Amino acid sequence: MARIKKKGTSGAAKNYITRTRAVKKLQISLPDFRRLCIFKGIYPREPRKKKKVTKGSTANTTFYYTKDIQYLLHEPLLAKFREHKAVSKKIARALGRGEAGDAARLEKNLVPKLKLDHIIKERYPTFIDALRDLDDALSMLFLFANLPSSEHVPAKTISLCQKLCHEFEHYVIVSHSLRKSFLSIKGIYYQATIQGQDILWLVPYRFVQRTGGDIDFRIMGTFIEFYTTLLGFVNYRLYTSVGLVYPPKFNAKMDEHGAELSAFQVEGKSVLANGDSTADDETPAVANPEAQAIADKLAALPETEEDDAAPAPVQPNEDDEANEEIDKFEVTAPDADVLPQPQASNAEIASLFAPFTFYIARETPRAPLEFILKSFGCKRIGWDGALGEGAYTTNESDPSITHQIVDRLPLSETSEASATAGDAAAPKAQWPRSTMPGRTYVQPQWVWDCINQSKLLRPDLYAPGAELPPHLSPWVKPKKGEYDPNLPLQEQEAEGEAAAFEEEEDEEEDVSDVEVAGDGNDVDDALLDRDSSVEAGEGMDVDGSEDDDDSDESDEAPAGDEFDGFDSDAESDISDGEAARLQHQRELEAEATGKTLEPEVETTKSKNAAIRKKADKKRKEEEEERARQKMMLSNKKRKLLKRIEYGTNKRDTEAEALRRKRRKLEKAKSAANAI
Amino acid sequence: MGPNTNPRKRKAVTREAPPPASDSGEELADGLLDGILSHSEDSSDEDQDDNDDEGDYDSEASSVIEGLSDEDEEGDDESGFESEDEEQDIREQLRKLKTSDSSSHHHDTNMDFENGGEEGLEEQDDSLKPNYTVTTDANGNPRYLYKEIDPVYDSDDSAADVSNTIGNIDLSYYDEYPHIGYDINGKKIMRPAKGEALDALLDSIDIPKGWTGLTDPTTGKPLNLSAEELDVLKRLTRNEVLEDGYDPYPEMVHYFSGVKEIMPLSAAPEPKRRFVPSKHEAKRVMKIVKAIREGRIQPYKPLEEREEEDEQIHYDVWADEKPRPEKNMHIAAPKLPPPGYEASYHPPPEYLPDKEEEAAWLEQDEEDRERDFLPRNHEALRKVPGYENFVKERFERSLDLYLAPRVRRNKLNIDPESLLPKLPNPEDLKPFPTTCAAIFRGQEGRVRSVTFDPLGIYVASGGDDGYVRIWELLTGRQVWNVKLSDEEAVDSVKWRPDKDTSILAAAAGESVYMIIPFTILSPDIEQASRDILDAGWGYAASKPSTNTNGETKEPPGKWARPGTRIEAKGVLVQVTVRSTVKTINWHRKGDYFATVSPRGQSTAVAIHTLSKHLTQLPFRRLKGIAQTAQFHPSKAIFFVATKNSIRSYDLAKQELVKILQPGAKWISSIDVHPGGDNLLVGTYDKRLLWHDLDLSTKPYKTLRFHTAAIRAVRYHQGGLPLFADASDDGSMQIFHGKVVGDMMENATIVPLKVLKGHKVKSRLGVMDVDWHPREPWCVSAGADGTSRLWC
Repeated sequence: MARIKKKGTSGAAKNYITRTRAVKKLQISLPDFRRLCIFKGIYPREPRKKKKVTKGSTANTTFYYTKDIQYLLHEPLLAKFREHKAVSKKIARALGRGEAGDAARLEKNLVPKLKLDHIIKERYPTFIDALRDLDDALSMLFLFANLPSSEHVPAKTISLCQKLCHEFEHYVIVSHSLRKSFLSIKGIYYQATIQGQDILWLVPYRFVQRTGGDIDFRIMGTFIEFYTTLLGFVNYRLYTSVGLVYPPKFNAKMDEHGAELSAFQVEGKSVLANGDSTADDETPAVANPEAQAIADKLAALPETEEDDAAPAPVQPNEDDEANEEIDKFEVTAPDADVLPQPQASNAEIASLFAPFTFYIARETPRAPLEFILKSFGCKRIGWDGALGEGAYTTNESDPSITHQIVDRLPLSETSEASATAGDAAAPKAQWPRSTMPGRTYVQPQWVWDCINQSKLLRPDLYAPGAELPPHLSPWVKPKKGEYDPNLPLQEQEAEGEAAAFEEEEDEEEDVSDVEVAGDGNDVDDALLDRDSSVEAGEGMDVDGSEDDDDSDESDEAPAGDEFDGFDSDAESDISDGEAARLQHQRELEAEATGKTLEPEVETTKSKNAAIRKKADKKRKEEEEERARQKMMLSNKKRKLLKRIEYGTNKRDTEAEALRRKRRKLEKAKSAANAI
Repeated sequence: MGPNTNPRKRKAVTREAPPPASDSGEELADGLLDGILSHSEDSSDEDQDDNDDEGDYDSEASSVIEGLSDEDEEGDDESGFESEDEEQDIREQLRKLKTSDSSSHHHDTNMDFENGGEEGLEEQDDSLKPNYTVTTDANGNPRYLYKEIDPVYDSDDSAADVSNTIGNIDLSYYDEYPHIGYDINGKKIMRPAKGEALDALLDSIDIPKGWTGLTDPTTGKPLNLSAEELDVLKRLTRNEVLEDGYDPYPEMVHYFSGVKEIMPLSAAPEPKRRFVPSKHEAKRVMKIVKAIREGRIQPYKPLEEREEEDEQIHYDVWADEKPRPEKNMHIAAPKLPPPGYEASYHPPPEYLPDKEEEAAWLEQDEEDRERDFLPRNHEALRKVPGYENFVKERFERSLDLYLAPRVRRNKLNIDPESLLPKLPNPEDLKPFPTTCAAIFRGQEGRVRSVTFDPLGIYVASGGDDGYVRIWELLTGRQVWNVKLSDEEAVDSVKWRPDKDTSILAAAAGESVYMIIPFTILSPDIEQASRDILDAGWGYAASKPSTNTNGETKEPPGKWARPGTRIEAKGVLVQVTVRSTVKTINWHRKGDYFATVSPRGQSTAVAIHTLSKHLTQLPFRRLKGIAQTAQFHPSKAIFFVATKNSIRSYDLAKQELVKILQPGAKWISSIDVHPGGDNLLVGTYDKRLLWHDLDLSTKPYKTLRFHTAAIRAVRYHQGGLPLFADASDDGSMQIFHGKVVGDMMENATIVPLKVLKGHKVKSRLGVMDVDWHPREPWCVSAGADGTSRLWC
């Protein structure tokens, strides 16, 4: 006979390990364990059979895979942690003895340096894996690049983050891989598509970040340590994949003057290979921007300037791109299927801003604009000298500038007059005192909307001081049943909804609040209505028995209270009849008096009512049928259906609420226009 | 052992040069210092003492037993600090007292020199004398005869020094006893005589020299100190040097001075190595030089250069990339969703929250919020402020990344329509009642029961007001009524199922009334009905009592005439049973009817025979509270529903056929399908159960569509596949329930219609339901005081 198996020796009970046990097994402290987990990307698991794992205890515990922890036992970092612990003991002892020099020496020489290369390789076996996981890394690094240095965040880390971020941005510019960008209230979202992977990251606006509260910078620091290593390697791979030298040359002097992106000099490999023969190749490259700035001040012709201005930075793909355009596949026979094709080719979008020269005004955010404009092909971007070095031109009156991005209101006529007097004193700052003929003045949102729709939009909509069109997120795909602000209201609203709204509005206006409760009911019904069918019947015959919309069980409470002695059907029938009778009566009266005033009054109201009634009847029928079907569902399926319907109902109510709001706004607007 | 190595020599020294009185010697001071510094090590003086002592040892062994204390030894040690001659004196005394201060390591010495010690005073070479004597044995060989080892020496252990064996115990415990402890042999050590009280007085008057007033705790004798000892103590307390003349800071003697002596210390000639360069060293230097030249040894590098090496060295990590194996448990962290329209800095106006929404958002707990920000509109980009929670959100994201368990959840991608069963179109299942065709008003209080007459022309109802009313079906007009009881409600009304007669049974309180509403009947039907009712009187008269024993047993039901007042209205027979009747059910032939009165325990179920005016109690004892009972439509089977089970009995064989377990908590009503193979059960716990009697004792279908208790269930008896239930939620539900003839196919049940209209009054809705005998019409009794016809 086989031996009786002991409980808890295999399966889930063995596969999972609590955090406490894991820490004990690894013989490290909890903070070290945390760091290890962050580095190695180990995360807790939720056992499927928790009871088996916890052996009946219901205490809240974190579980890890035993194999994950087993794996950690061989981690070289673990040895480093132990070394570090030993050294820190030594340092503590030295400090205790007051031997500061010894402590400094120990710290300098003995503290082990962590190398995360092997972890990068291990966590991301392929480069695509690394790209897929770049979202968080970029967001975090961009945040740290914008943080001030503090005791938690050393200046070295911040400068490293800045460097890596700028390098990455340079790659995005060179490879034209930026696709979309969005100005949200949190910051600026960017999406780049690199090797088929969509990478979305968020860059905060340049304000001092609030770092109070319970934010543990040690955890963030650990992440940053990992992410900087990761992005370094990713950058290396990206640069080398497009034939660039990594790291790019960094001009510290320019960086000090706020050149940011321009402080980096991206060089192609071929250039470097040539440059090796001539040792002085480096000097012109470094001196180049300064020479350019001087040349700009001389206000020479930009075309010729540009030619000799950028010989060193090379876009290696530029020539190839012309051939990479996607050919259009035309269907030859009418019976063939049409396959969806990518619409605009990469090169087309990439050179969206290529023919223009931009000038960025002082009040606009330079860094994001520069990045976006450059990555969409613009080569000549000038800005106010106050925004930092590295501009194509700092002269606002440069005749080559075609677009100027401003975010200030134009001055009114009177102030303009006074401004002309002082014009001689300050000839440089033109806007808002005067405009250059032939130059387009736009607000920054124009740039974002252009790239999101991958075409140049009418700049007059974005003129300074104009009321901007809403800025929409490029990532929201219109789904069935969801509200889409781009479409007119009539296209997406359910049948009879507008009528219901109108009626409700009317009632709100003229009917004294006799049936306020009933109205509420009505509206709710209309809101909850899911199958694009709508409320019918008159506004007054509200019966609560219609409330039973979603559940199979009818609710009893309000059923009988409002009317007496009729069921819903009979009642609606009777009221139908009554309505018809009333109508007839009215007609007769009108005939008798010889007036034709009544139909005129009735038109909108009765039409609305008719539409609604029809829709309501249809809806009710469908609902009844549905309730009937639901009655025959098994319990399990019914619960499933309930869950599914919860989601759709929520979506519908949201969409409905938005539609209602919009309708209201539109109505207010039309009313204002009428006046 | 130090002293052992050469005891003889030392002893000789001691003997030869007894310490002179010249006490100015510095060595003496040194010796004293030694004593202070290393108290544990015996000074050479003490060694001498020991060796000297040995001579007297045996003779004065008895005095050892007398008891000596450690204190004495201490005192002796202290006495060692005194000047040499005084020390000598004290030693003398000690010898007399036999205060042996020899510590354990001296005993070896004692052993070795046991004999020698004795003779040591007389002759010097006694130790050379062997401790054996050589004799010749019987063979003439030399034989060594060793001396007996004197066992006395065993007693000469350190333990022997402690004469009192009580150990470290306070002597005060022995205050009451004449002894102060025990010696090694277990004999009592008697307390030394203290002298007479007068002696003590005298002692106190002239204090002996060195009197301290203290008592030696081990010996019990007064502890006296000599003047010297007192002096030492005094000096000790003052932190002074213990001895007069002791110089704590003697002049330093420069043994090694800078003065070069003329004569070398050693006469050896200068070695060669002092002036010839070392070949070995040269070899080693050359080795290093060579290593440096070859670059094996790098010159020292300043540490600052290492700083620069810290820079990450980048290379292509993914040079040889291999995709992750297929079956990996790794779950990548889910990406954050992209921002929606409402996150825009300038969203469409409909996305902006109005005041209520904003207040609601602010009021919500941070964790409950659906969105972590409030949509805001900014007219221009320059007006956009910084997002204050940016760092916090990033931090929370990083916490999620390493703290949150990741679970792969399959997204439900099911079309909800596909879940719904395809039901036959209700149009195909017509006819069934859909609307309320007539309302029978006029009753006060609840209507408890309704019933169709067998022809389907009239509807009878009974209610809380004690009236039985008959209504014309098509017009809704009340055509007949009678008040059966003033205080009790009419709980049940049932027409007798016979088309040729028209007899209505109604239960009010404990009585069942047989009613012939002759005003609305044709005379021949009236006559036929009267005949049936009256036939029993004769039978009852001819057989007054069926009791076998002839008397005294009260019959379960009393058949009587109800009285002229209501007899004139047509109420002709009154059957009174022992407790309140709640339900009446007729046998299909109309000769029998069963009543159930849940309160009466053994008399709960009664079967009445109309033709004989006879009441029988079929069950002597019933398990559980009987709820309702019904006859099988074709066989002689009787169903009785108790609170949570249904039993069927064969009336002919008088045995239990089946027990059905609907699994309900409280059955309210049952109905048997006209085919007889299916049973419908309504329960107060909101369930409607369909039992297939051939299939199992468990329900075939459990339907739960009501929100309140189900009061009544009824099959259509006229051949239509319909059934209905009445519930306290004010609604009735009509189902299509088709039973196919062959056994292979299960019944199909399709919900058809929910009929609403009755109002819920004090949590009671529809009380009863009955079907028209032929048409798809049904009538319901409502707690709101109305009955309704549905068609």
